[in-house]
Amino acid sequence: MDMEGSPQVTRRTTRSCAVSSNDVESTKPSESYKPTLNDLAFGKQPFGLEDLLSRFPCRRTQILEFLRLLGPLNSPLFPVLVYGGPSTGKTSVTLQDSKHSYSSVKRCERPSDFVNYLREALENVISSLKGNSGKSNSKMSGRPDGTMMPEVGLIFISNISPDMYYLNIGYVEPIPLYFLNYTEDDLRHIFMVNQTNRKLYASFLDVVLRPFCRVTRRVDELAAALSSLFKKYCEPLSDKEVAPNEEMKRKLFSQIRPHISSALNETFQVRSQPLLGAEANKTKKTNSSKMSGILEDFDKIDFHMSTSAKYLLISAFLASRNPATLDASLFDSTGVSDSRKRKRKASEKSMDQKEMAEQELHMKGPGTFPLERLLAIFQCITSLAEDSLDEEESRELTTEGSSRGLMSDVLLQLSSLCNANFIIKGGSCPLEGSTRYRTAVSEDLALKVARSLKFPLSKYLYRR
Amino acid sequence: MGREKEKEKPSEKALNLLRSRLTDPNFIFRPLSDYPDSNYSKLKFIISTSVTEACNNSILLLGPRGSGKVAVLELVLSDLLQQYPEGISVIRLNGLLHSDDNCALKEIARQLCVEHQLLFSKVASFDDNSQFIIAMLRECGLAHKTIIFVLDEFDFFAQGKQRLLYSLLDAMQSVNSQAVVIGVSCRLDVDQLLEKRVRSRFSHRKLLFLSPSKEDTERFMEHILSLPVDSNIPHNYAAEFNGRLKKIFSDDRFKELINTYLSFNFTIGHLVRFLFQAVSYMDLDVGFLSLENFKTALSSNQRQPKLECIRDCSILELYMLVCMKRLEVKEQNSYNFYTVMTEYKTIHDSSQTSDNYAANVCLRAFEHLLQRQLINFIDNRGHNQSVEFRPVKLLISSAELHQGLKSYHQCPAILLKKMDR
Repeated sequence: MDMEGSPQVTRRTTRSCAVSSNDVESTKPSESYKPTLNDLAFGKQPFGLEDLLSRFPCRRTQILEFLRLLGPLNSPLFPVLVYGGPSTGKTSVTLQDSKHSYSSVKRCERPSDFVNYLREALENVISSLKGNSGKSNSKMSGRPDGTMMPEVGLIFISNISPDMYYLNIGYVEPIPLYFLNYTEDDLRHIFMVNQTNRKLYASFLDVVLRPFCRVTRRVDELAAALSSLFKKYCEPLSDKEVAPNEEMKRKLFSQIRPHISSALNETFQVRSQPLLGAEANKTKKTNSSKMSGILEDFDKIDFHMSTSAKYLLISAFLASRNPATLDASLFDSTGVSDSRKRKRKASEKSMDQKEMAEQELHMKGPGTFPLERLLAIFQCITSLAEDSLDEEESRELTTEGSSRGLMSDVLLQLSSLCNANFIIKGGSCPLEGSTRYRTAVSEDLALKVARSLKFPLSKYLYRR
Repeated sequence: MGREKEKEKPSEKALNLLRSRLTDPNFIFRPLSDYPDSNYSKLKFIISTSVTEACNNSILLLGPRGSGKVAVLELVLSDLLQQYPEGISVIRLNGLLHSDDNCALKEIARQLCVEHQLLFSKVASFDDNSQFIIAMLRECGLAHKTIIFVLDEFDFFAQGKQRLLYSLLDAMQSVNSQAVVIGVSCRLDVDQLLEKRVRSRFSHRKLLFLSPSKEDTERFMEHILSLPVDSNIPHNYAAEFNGRLKKIFSDDRFKELINTYLSFNFTIGHLVRFLFQAVSYMDLDVGFLSLENFKTALSSNQRQPKLECIRDCSILELYMLVCMKRLEVKEQNSYNFYTVMTEYKTIHDSSQTSDNYAANVCLRAFEHLLQRQLINFIDNRGHNQSVEFRPVKLLISSAELHQGLKSYHQCPAILLKKMDR
């Protein structure tokens, strides 16, 4: 894709775009109809092909093909389906291209918008004689469109490929236009745009881009992951404008290398706050002890929860993981957990059975529990906690007041946990009629929460 | 600069002309209908006799999608409207929108009101509407005005109790009316779907719209793509354009190309779409259609979407797909994210690869696959389970996966090895 060598040629060969855009600009002031606007704010007037190609660095073939399908100004258009993976630039390219050659472009998200725009556009057509172009974003099933009026062009933009859309409804099958996902070289090109220190960034990309591309090739996710890593990369450099030579590159590489694998495992996380202390620790550690550093790092949960909410979360987790028959023995009145069974030598058959049972557990997922069971476990746990608190801090808290304080808003906490998707409200049991809940947190998160409360969760978990 | 503009203009005009021709159904279907034995003339004959002889009639137009049923019907209707401007009124219903009886009657009443400049009340009940329609039928019958009911997607009207069809046909028989009911459908057996009482009132006239023969197709293509010599396009340019076109059509490679395309998409609609693509690929600098344009159009129609999807995946996503395939081979037909993760871990334990990622990263890759519809949930009811536990299934066959892996740029060798076993 050699763009640099052919700017002159493209301007001449790609035809009427250059000619018609001038025409459009000159005739625009004399048009009397209102300039229609789409939702995105593309404020510019139609510009030449070169600008279009430079805004979207690696989309040359697609842009040219799309412009060919659109045709010269005022010519009718078959419906076109633009499809491709997410964040490949479909919407922006389509909008820019159509603004380029059509005078009114509308973008709709819902079918109702589409109908409204169509009505407006038709009214405009009668008063003015320019071509209109409407779009609809169809992410769900395909929409039937039997009519094909010459003045209205339809462009469908979709995430999934057209073979998912085969419905037996009589619509004119649109012409597909595929937007590939970017390759590694394309990504390098894209990320190099708008960089101040190109050589430094180029050396950074040489090191970092390949491993990250093995995880994901989407531009938005990569951008987020790479930006934080680049900051770390530039840390030891005092002068950010310098172009690195070989030696500096090697030093920077060895400095960043331990961070790459940890960053890979956090590729999709959004940091809520920078963990400054942990970062300082990390730079001193070598590769082998890095793992323990990570574990310490993950001990902290980076969101806030009230104590009662944390207890509720833990009780929900226990209620989902343990079978109900075990509750009595686990939470008996003396508060002593009794999950130690006599260990028998596991025979081959029972090992197989254990494996099958574990697989089944994995397949089924966490179990459901009714509200009463959750509250019962919650009460047991909190009374335990208060007892242990009493032992440590002699009578600092009034037990009565605090216990009532914990219980009074527990239903409120439950609904907020449901909203935050820590607990899922499931269907109701047909016999009893009460709603059942299910936990949606992973074991890691539950352990972290328990650790922050100093609650021995692992003693209560039922292990087969 | 002036000469260049001169040279660009004819090709651009030609392009515009061809594009507008290809998007205009009237132009496409008129030449196909000019034979005395064509569907067009038969349909016209039937409707015009019922207009002139003041009788009722019903007919079905059947054919695959894109074979021109509605286009020919519109041609006939427009011709007849010119011939008898006051003698015909047309009511159009669509099975997708109006299959419910209440809705359909309301729509018929509304269209009748619009046609005859009467006031339409939106709150009229079902009985009111039906009485109104019967009264209109009688009045139009007395005034010798034929009402033509066009029922598009007729098979949808034949679902359920078929009340609308029955009441319409019954009214036609009992009241002194002049009406023609035209059903259009892509199901060739739609008359088998009718109830006995409806079928007895329906005349068994059917017009089949089949794809044209090879010679007709060739003649059709030549007719559509040839530039007319009397328009504002310069004469010598048009003559050269047509000459080159003839040469392309007689080329064997072109014939093979067209046959390949037509073996999958045999209706006129598909052919027109193909020609539109070919025409839009015409290079305006050269100014003439070439065989390359047709070849490009054919290849853009022969896409393999699943392979394209695989090419777009990242390597981690490929790992997940291969793990799922292996689980299927091990006869575990339902699997969810956790079982896939255990398989993933065993692969890494057995052969130390560099692609060992944490669970949250893999979960995101899993979600990407869901988004791209390479895998799908087995049932849609399980919304009260989190994503990691819902069972999924692969939407891509192992042959496609294999092919995708082979053509993947820099695919890790271990994936291919695992697939082969």
